[in-house]
Amino acid sequence: MKPAICVLALLALSAPAQAEDITIGFAIAKSGWMEAYDTPAATAAKIRIDEINAAGGLLGRKIAVVEADTRTDRAGAAKAGLDLLDQGAQMMIVSCDYDFGAPAALVAEGEAMISFFLCAEDVKAGIQGVGPLSFSSSVLAPVQGATMAEWAHARREARAAYVLEDTFIEYNKGICTGFEWMFPQLEGAAIVGRDSFKNDDASIAAQITRIKSLGDEPDVIMLCSVMPGAAAAVRQIRAAGIDSLILNGSAVDGSYWLDATPGLSDFVLPVQGSIHGDDPRAEVEAFNRAYEAKTGARPASQYAYPGYVLIDLWAKAVERAGTVEGAAVTAELEKMSDEPTAFGPRSFSSELHHQNTALMQIVEISDGKPARIDEWRISQPVPLDVLMGK
Amino acid sequence: MSLQLVFDALSLGGIYAIAALGIALIFGVMNLVNFAHGQFIACSVFALILPSADAVATMGLGALPAPLLIAAILAFGAGLAVAAEALVFRPLRNASPVALMVASFALGILLQNILLVAYGGRPKAVSLWPQLGSPVQVLSAQVPLLQLLVIGAVALILAGLALMLKRARVGLEMRAAAEDFDMARMLGVRANGVISGAFALSGALAAVVALVLVTQTGVADVRMGGQIMLVAFIATVVGGMGSLAGAVAAGLALGAASALLQAFLPVEARPFRDAFLYGLVILVLLFRPQGLFASVGAKPRV
Amino acid sequence: MSASRTTRHQVRRRMAATTPLLLALLLVAFVVAITAFGDRASARMASETLIRVTLVAGFWIFAGNSGVISFGHAAFACVGAYVSAWTTLAPAMKATLLPGLPAMLADARWHVLPASLVAGLAAAALALVTGAAILRLSGIAASIATFAFLAMVNTIWANWTPVTGGTSSVVGLERYVTPWVGLGWAVATLAAASLYAASASGLALRASREDEVAASASGIDRYRHRLAAYTISAFFCGVGGALMGHFIGVINPDAFYLNLTFLMLAMLVVGGIGSLSGAVVGVLAVSLAVEVLVRMEKGVSLGGLTFALPPGSQEILIAAAMILVLVFRPAGLLAGREITLPARWVTGRGAAND
Repeated sequence: MKPAICVLALLALSAPAQAEDITIGFAIAKSGWMEAYDTPAATAAKIRIDEINAAGGLLGRKIAVVEADTRTDRAGAAKAGLDLLDQGAQMMIVSCDYDFGAPAALVAEGEAMISFFLCAEDVKAGIQGVGPLSFSSSVLAPVQGATMAEWAHARREARAAYVLEDTFIEYNKGICTGFEWMFPQLEGAAIVGRDSFKNDDASIAAQITRIKSLGDEPDVIMLCSVMPGAAAAVRQIRAAGIDSLILNGSAVDGSYWLDATPGLSDFVLPVQGSIHGDDPRAEVEAFNRAYEAKTGARPASQYAYPGYVLIDLWAKAVERAGTVEGAAVTAELEKMSDEPTAFGPRSFSSELHHQNTALMQIVEISDGKPARIDEWRISQPVPLDVLMGK
Repeated sequence: MSLQLVFDALSLGGIYAIAALGIALIFGVMNLVNFAHGQFIACSVFALILPSADAVATMGLGALPAPLLIAAILAFGAGLAVAAEALVFRPLRNASPVALMVASFALGILLQNILLVAYGGRPKAVSLWPQLGSPVQVLSAQVPLLQLLVIGAVALILAGLALMLKRARVGLEMRAAAEDFDMARMLGVRANGVISGAFALSGALAAVVALVLVTQTGVADVRMGGQIMLVAFIATVVGGMGSLAGAVAAGLALGAASALLQAFLPVEARPFRDAFLYGLVILVLLFRPQGLFASVGAKPRV
Repeated sequence: MSASRTTRHQVRRRMAATTPLLLALLLVAFVVAITAFGDRASARMASETLIRVTLVAGFWIFAGNSGVISFGHAAFACVGAYVSAWTTLAPAMKATLLPGLPAMLADARWHVLPASLVAGLAAAALALVTGAAILRLSGIAASIATFAFLAMVNTIWANWTPVTGGTSSVVGLERYVTPWVGLGWAVATLAAASLYAASASGLALRASREDEVAASASGIDRYRHRLAAYTISAFFCGVGGALMGHFIGVINPDAFYLNLTFLMLAMLVVGGIGSLSGAVVGVLAVSLAVEVLVRMEKGVSLGGLTFALPPGSQEILIAAAMILVLVFRPAGLLAGREITLPARWVTGRGAAND
């Protein structure tokens, strides 16, 4: 009798140590130009994973991380996804960009596994483009454009807007789509002109000439662009003596590019949280300090934040579902409506695995220094057909 | 507005012209279409800042006062090109043009990935002489000072090159080598010297384009110079292979055409501006396949 | 002449005929080895390599025989990939992602085989129309014209959003390309390439490549043969593009632009642009080298230690290796020779000696 009880006791004691870890796979770029964007978000995700593990784990199990390099190549992304499957991933985190994350996300979708885009802001990084188990934790580009439109109208008396679109990637077109949907609806507001340029154009002199040939300087210029074209455009616009308020999407967050236009003022962008230490929410600054402790420097842009948010939301859904199984966790995620996170409330639904409205912090650059000055949430969610770009 | 357009067209054309000149110089002496030229431009830009993967760039050579800075970057560009010639192109001197082309492509990829590893993929802000961006009133147009400088620089470079090619011994040797390489060698022209000289000039011109680009845009990105290089090739061929003046003229024409298309196309068609530009190029080639200003030796005589 | 003696010409013709067979055997051996000993990742590498064989062998049909370097073949791959997507994607998905498609394409839902054939035909049709204009040019002007053509197609594709999806990727392509599917198309391309090379048109084209003036003095209409080669070559590049799209499942115009062009050209030149065997060997050599370096970047364990290359070094090493290969063997690894059975084996007993 006694030996049996001893054996049973031993078995009971050893059971928790034998419980499997939950494995999360990261199909991200560790080389190539996408690395600069994937690494901060992935680091943020790992910070949240460490926090969860320190607090006892998820469903009583530790979260383990496996990674595969997509090498900023679509075929490489597909291979990375397969590699992670071989390593036993149960949830797939994919690259920050829809084009480079989709191949790996599709692999996960084929295995009935949830895939989460680190910071994709295209509605197709979800149900519409990958499948019913795919999500993104960032704020859609059209929401960013619409936020700028409403905020500039309400706070800066913007009535005449000029739209300058960079045709390089889909994200830019999304910002302009959101702006062009919201702005004309507002009272007394109208878009007085439009133009386009390519991110790597050596000079936008012709586009600037067109702006200057308008009778009056527009109140705002909605610039829908990303680095490095955005920095180049701003430099040339200000050099030409155009002083209109310039608006952009979140992609230009960070002070690393400000040297291109010394003493820049009247430039505004929306962000999910402020990296400059002046966010009114204590959790944001706490995260910034944790990020600094882990990597030696504060986040260079707000794109680290969605990585943290995604683990936060997914872990909560797993706890509520009681399992990591794809369909069950998806059902819990889709029930989330204004779920509080450190960076603002987040919602998912069975039609949309993205944010079609969000509380955004407004950052303004004055005399070359960025500072958070305001926050804004658009008064109506962006409709699905605007999100799809119709 | 039309005077403004003239200046816009001339300044964009000027950048393309300088780049086309760099390509045409090497093509003239070596029959090599140098696909690494875009990376020579990018490397010259990155020579301004210290290598690091940090988000913010610290100026290395870029902190020097203007005359020293220009000299240093020109020397860097020339040095890089001469090194590339010695290590990669000299062993391939007798290879087929295709092999040379692929080797230059591979060199470009090599340089780009070295830059990626040394500086990271994120574009860096580099503010060089921002006061050059402020507009200057010229008659009815407001022209950024940089544009005027570019136009002036193109004129100076052309004049200087023309003088060197016609009067100086090294210029004579280069023209002889471009026309008939073997004969020139038999007459005592040192092949290696001429080719290295052409590469040095080409590299220096790439550095000039780099300085203009970085002053204009304020950023350093590993993919810089690529688009300009492609237009420069097309300009070299449209201008007539082996004709330096032709390359410059075609570069100016392409820049002007691009600026005009941007100004006059309706807004829905503007994203297709480059398609129109390249269509124009194909048309020009169909009507004058040897180029607009083909040199005498261009068509093979039977 | 007695019936049992075979002329040198006949011997050479038989030797040339063995080339596609040997190359096909080589590829079959490759696939069998991977399937038997490799893992899922190797199987994907094998499929990718075979798709590249289709692309590069197709490219060789024009570039190798005519001596004209075309930079525009990636555009045919682009057209092929998108045509295959348009005809195989679910109509519901096309209605949301590609609202500008004409009704006939928007409702189409075909099987993948006719879709890939139509993809190749569409690319060939485009080649016929554009080649008719471009191929009248000679030498470098033709090459630059093909370059301008590539840039035009890329600009149009990246901005014609209602029909092509623009810069946004089109997803949902059925991923049916296994190593065996890739092998099938690769062997078909090799067969077509060999048949064309042995045909009168191929011979005439190679003659004009060697000496333009002498060939035209012999009555060869260079333009007609170039157009034929260009069109056939575009068909197989179109199919290759369709295979690429269905391999990854996601297509985007910038996957069919400069990087693909450089890769195809590099593989062809490294193997030797003068011969079909060179094309195949070039693809295999570069693909295997890349795979080895990628695995080394991931980390190789020897004993108890893991040794890994720093990330980003794979591209640097491949570029350096290509330069070295070109420096030491400027005509390519095979220097323009074909892989054939030795003459003795082809004639049976004894060597031909007339």
